[in-house]
Amino acid sequence: MSGDSAASAPGRSGARAGRPVGRKRRYLAGGLLHGGVQGSPVLRLFMRWVRRPLLPVIRLWRRNLQLKVVVTTLLMSLGVVLLLGFVVIGQVRNGLLDAKVKASQSQATGGFAAAKQRADEAATAAGDAGTPVDDRPSQNVIQWMSDLVYSLSSGGQGAFDVVTLPAGGDSGGGRGPRASGDVAPSASIPESLRERVDSSTAAAQSYTRIVYNSSEASQPALVIGKRVNDPNGDPYQLYYLFPLTQEEKSLSLVKGTLATAGLFVVVLFGAIAWLVVRQVVTPVRMAAGVAERLSAGRLQERMKVTGEDDIARLGEAFNKMAQNLQLKISQLEDLSRMQRRFVSDVSHELRTPLTTVRMAADVIHEAREDFDPVTARSAELLADQLDRFESLLADLLEISRFDAGAAALEAEPIDLREVVRRVVTGAEPLAERKGTRIRVTGDQQPVVAEADARRVERILRNLVVNAVEHGEGKDVVVKLAAAGGAVAVAVRDYGVGLKPGEAARVFSRFWRADPARARTTGGTGLGLSIALEDARLHGGWLQAWGEPGGGSQFRLTLPRTADEPLRGSPIPLEPADSRGRRTAEGTAPPSGGARAATVPAQQSAGPGQARPARDPIPPRPAAAPPAADPTALPGNGARVVPRPVSPARRQDGPSAAEPPAAHGDGHPAGGPEEDPNSQGEACRGR
Amino acid sequence: MAADREGGRRRVPVRAVAYAVCGAVLLAGCASMPDSGDLRGVESTPRQDTQVRVFAMPPAENAPPAEIVQGFLEALTSDDPHFETAREYLTDKARRSWRPELSTTVLADGPGTDPGRVGDREDADAYSLTLTGTKVATVDAQQSYAPAEGEYRAPVHLTRDGKTGQWRIDTVPQGVVMGKSDFQRNYMSVNKYYFAAHHAPGAGDGASGQPMAVADPVYVRKRVDPLTQAVRSLLSGPTRLLGPAVRTSFPPGTALAKGASSLTPDDRNRLTVELNGRAARTGPDTCDEMAAQLLFTLRTLTPAVDEVDLRSGETRLCSLTEDRAAAVAARGSAQHPDYLYFVDGEERVVRLPAGGSATRADPVPGALGSGEAKLRSVAVSRDEHDAAGVGLDGASLYVAPLVSGAALGERVLASRGPTEAERLSTPSWDAQGDLWVVDRDPAHPRLLMLEDGAGRPVTVRTPGLEGRVQDVRVAADGVRIALVVRAEDGQRSLLIGRIEREAKSGERPAVTVRGLRSATPGLEEVTAMSWSGDSRLVVVGRERGGVQQIGYVQVDGSTPEPQAPAALTGVQEIAASEDERLPLVAHSEDGIVRLPSGTQWQKVTDGTAPVYPG
Repeated sequence: MSGDSAASAPGRSGARAGRPVGRKRRYLAGGLLHGGVQGSPVLRLFMRWVRRPLLPVIRLWRRNLQLKVVVTTLLMSLGVVLLLGFVVIGQVRNGLLDAKVKASQSQATGGFAAAKQRADEAATAAGDAGTPVDDRPSQNVIQWMSDLVYSLSSGGQGAFDVVTLPAGGDSGGGRGPRASGDVAPSASIPESLRERVDSSTAAAQSYTRIVYNSSEASQPALVIGKRVNDPNGDPYQLYYLFPLTQEEKSLSLVKGTLATAGLFVVVLFGAIAWLVVRQVVTPVRMAAGVAERLSAGRLQERMKVTGEDDIARLGEAFNKMAQNLQLKISQLEDLSRMQRRFVSDVSHELRTPLTTVRMAADVIHEAREDFDPVTARSAELLADQLDRFESLLADLLEISRFDAGAAALEAEPIDLREVVRRVVTGAEPLAERKGTRIRVTGDQQPVVAEADARRVERILRNLVVNAVEHGEGKDVVVKLAAAGGAVAVAVRDYGVGLKPGEAARVFSRFWRADPARARTTGGTGLGLSIALEDARLHGGWLQAWGEPGGGSQFRLTLPRTADEPLRGSPIPLEPADSRGRRTAEGTAPPSGGARAATVPAQQSAGPGQARPARDPIPPRPAAAPPAADPTALPGNGARVVPRPVSPARRQDGPSAAEPPAAHGDGHPAGGPEEDPNSQGEACRGR
Repeated sequence: MAADREGGRRRVPVRAVAYAVCGAVLLAGCASMPDSGDLRGVESTPRQDTQVRVFAMPPAENAPPAEIVQGFLEALTSDDPHFETAREYLTDKARRSWRPELSTTVLADGPGTDPGRVGDREDADAYSLTLTGTKVATVDAQQSYAPAEGEYRAPVHLTRDGKTGQWRIDTVPQGVVMGKSDFQRNYMSVNKYYFAAHHAPGAGDGASGQPMAVADPVYVRKRVDPLTQAVRSLLSGPTRLLGPAVRTSFPPGTALAKGASSLTPDDRNRLTVELNGRAARTGPDTCDEMAAQLLFTLRTLTPAVDEVDLRSGETRLCSLTEDRAAAVAARGSAQHPDYLYFVDGEERVVRLPAGGSATRADPVPGALGSGEAKLRSVAVSRDEHDAAGVGLDGASLYVAPLVSGAALGERVLASRGPTEAERLSTPSWDAQGDLWVVDRDPAHPRLLMLEDGAGRPVTVRTPGLEGRVQDVRVAADGVRIALVVRAEDGQRSLLIGRIEREAKSGERPAVTVRGLRSATPGLEEVTAMSWSGDSRLVVVGRERGGVQQIGYVQVDGSTPEPQAPAALTGVQEIAASEDERLPLVAHSEDGIVRLPSGTQWQKVTDGTAPVYPG
């Protein structure tokens, strides 16, 4: 059971929480339904380990509509803001770059033209100086180029830097790179641009990052390069580097603005969603609370209705429904009270004429020897049936007293052995008639409990007389035991026993196992019902077990002190000499035949029934000593809901013996037959 | 009830509108550019100079010989600290023998290559060519600049390395060769300071007994830790030109401590200089002088040094701040003349406050200001106590104190030159109070010195001087002298020399001017000149085939600062002060004009022969 509850923990839902989880079959079905964690145990363990800390969060997520809506709004607005931000930043970036590129291109073009012009001028000057063209010394170039870079770069201090590189890679003509403004030339000019400039005479541009030789931080830049000829006609590469510092600043300004605005928008959306949802969720929560209280029985609860909106309509409809329900339920309660009163009144009213009739019948019975045999026989019959009528009336009164909650417990410490002795002595004549011997075991030590002696005696008498009546002349064993906080008396007979499903029904009013059988003693059909009510009044259990042809056992378990809840019984419900035990020797649960049943713990919310009903002890086939078997204690913490079906079902669970077919006999739901009221009707109808 | 609600409904929109208007006004304030607001100072960011750097490249694989030479020359113009890249172009042997620090040859247009005409051009493993160019100047191993002229030819020989098959230079001229603009880009002029030798402590004939600092300009590489270079150069002693006339306070053999890294001032503008053990035992006075030398030198390089801290090993020798340095040693550029003197229309000496913008001149007190003697030119001693004037005919020289009521004495000197232009020149006072003057008498051309402006004139010897001295100006430090000399062909050039005095007890001092060297090789006719700083003169002259112009020259002949004063025509005399903050004053066609910094020439008044004290 404990494994059961743990295994179903991850998938446990509110609806399932109270439902019994007993059967292996059901567990499997549940496991499949809940995602089939049937992989390796390691994986399952891991999943559980991962999930455990998240469980409260998940639960909150599942239960809180407001949280769901707010989080969804936040995520969606965040997505929208991000998308918007990307688009805007991209556009701003493109715009800034376009402007910068255009301005830079025109500047660089001018620079290239100036460089070409200077080269031409220098070449012309050298030519005018009369130096032969072929033998012209290359003397000017080193200084000329430095001067060129200086004059080109002095045009735009800070706005751009100028770099020259030898054509054709690093091996170009023994000429070194030149750079203004502390730029590291080879690190700043991308290799691909150098190749491109080398291969064509057109200008080319690229983006790069300017690296400085000084401690200045590198920065992104646009570089425009072109292959130009020096005065000697040798090519070299001239580059203009335009730092994009301003553009970067503008962009980061836009970015910062967007981020701030986006943050505000997201937070604002979240707050708005929270406010709006709160307007809807608060009435819904109120309705849920009111509905819960309604279902808990406080029928006078109503919702507060303000305004005329949809929520108000919901509230009005809800209130109307609650009012109708309250009306119907109170009508039904009135009806039921009236019926009970009617029965009680009828019983009372019948008593007075019955006394008169009784007196008259006694006179007739006394004088029966003077009558003719037929009349004498009638007088005897009259007296017998009057006896029966009287006891029936007494039982009815008793039952109606229970129903009305008027039964009071007068508990005092008593020794159950004395009660048993009295009952056995009282049943002796009947037993002799039936040829039955009544044995009492477990009476070596006192079995003391706080109980109402009259009621316990009534219970036991009922059980013993029943056992003798159905014992078919075989022995009846009365067994006493005390252990833990409980005492128990079990009455065992070896008669016809109980058919499957009957163990649950023996306590129903006016039920009889075989309608054809005659009642030899004055059985009214209410004895076991009264006994059950008596046991319940003590806070005890009265349970039945039986197998067809193997006899039956009824067990009364009482708390040692009144008001103490029961946890188990000293005597196992299924006796050690049952057929199932004898065949299986307790290794496996008995496959069939064992019929154990308890009573529905609590039928109605009567005034005297405030104490919550206890689970009956799950009887275990294991050999049970007279002392309380710890394994026999009800282990599962599932609380009993006052639903008629469940106790009987659960009762079947631990014994694990009853196949559905045996249980069934046309009552798959199993509901109505357990209901005391309808039970009474049904049996009467039978 | 209903009425209340009605009223409430009417009030709500009004209030909402009011709130909305307030919000809109506030937002509108934020959403427009401010047109008023708080007042703040603007921090100026110094405009960084556009520096062009040449990056030396190692020789490429299988480069032809011409490219190797080209790459080598290019590497010489880079700011490689020890020319490591340039050395890669040399063979192992040449690498060991090549010493770039020996000299720097500056060519007008950079070195050109003249293909070798020797027969071994056909040799597959050898290649010769000649570096050619027109020399402008040379910088020697002492980093001293000297103007030069003539053609530059240096043979370069390349061989092919047998193993690697690469061309390398195996014969190369010592030193570094580069073009003029490369030189100006890579080098900068630094004044290192020494003390005038005749001003040894205890001599006591100076103005206040302070040693006089003499500037000695050298060239250091601008981007190769110039601070450390300047300090090393200072420690290594004065350049040859100045050598005998100055002394240094550093004990012989003083150098930077071994392993000392490059010198950089800390964040409090203090520079810590670690010297080797030779300097460990200097006294506090000497140490202060050493520190003053350092501080003066470094201040010309960067204004970011306010204090010098001298150390030797673990001991802290002394520390000198800039304020205290002025008390340790005197410097010409640190003296501030009070007045500008000139001769007005009545041929008397008048003066104007030096710095101001006043145009009304007052006659000087004393005889020269009274018009007692008609004067042509005047010179005022540096302490402004005495003045010397040359008479209108140029034949006589008068000296009179600038004190009210002082009488004009006898003339102290007379010239017998045949014409006015061939008699006495404008006299010049040095820092010791001696008066220098030139007698241009063709028969007896003399450079004369009058001790303390009186007594018998001493004829100054000028060995090695060709041509006749026309004009003289002694620098404030008393060591350098500038002479305008007319050669036989009529060319007037400016020569700078040093004054050497040999004071023998009891005898008249022998004064010699040595080391004369032209400072203006480009100028054909120097009209006027005046000292304008510790190592700088302002010169009015004419280039060959050019017009008259005004320019600055360094005493070593270089012109590091390209900016010249605004042009002025018809300049006959010019006066400048060592204190560069004082305006330049000239006698031109418009009379006395002056040039306050940052403006154009302004007319002051009529007059001739403007001079600052000196």
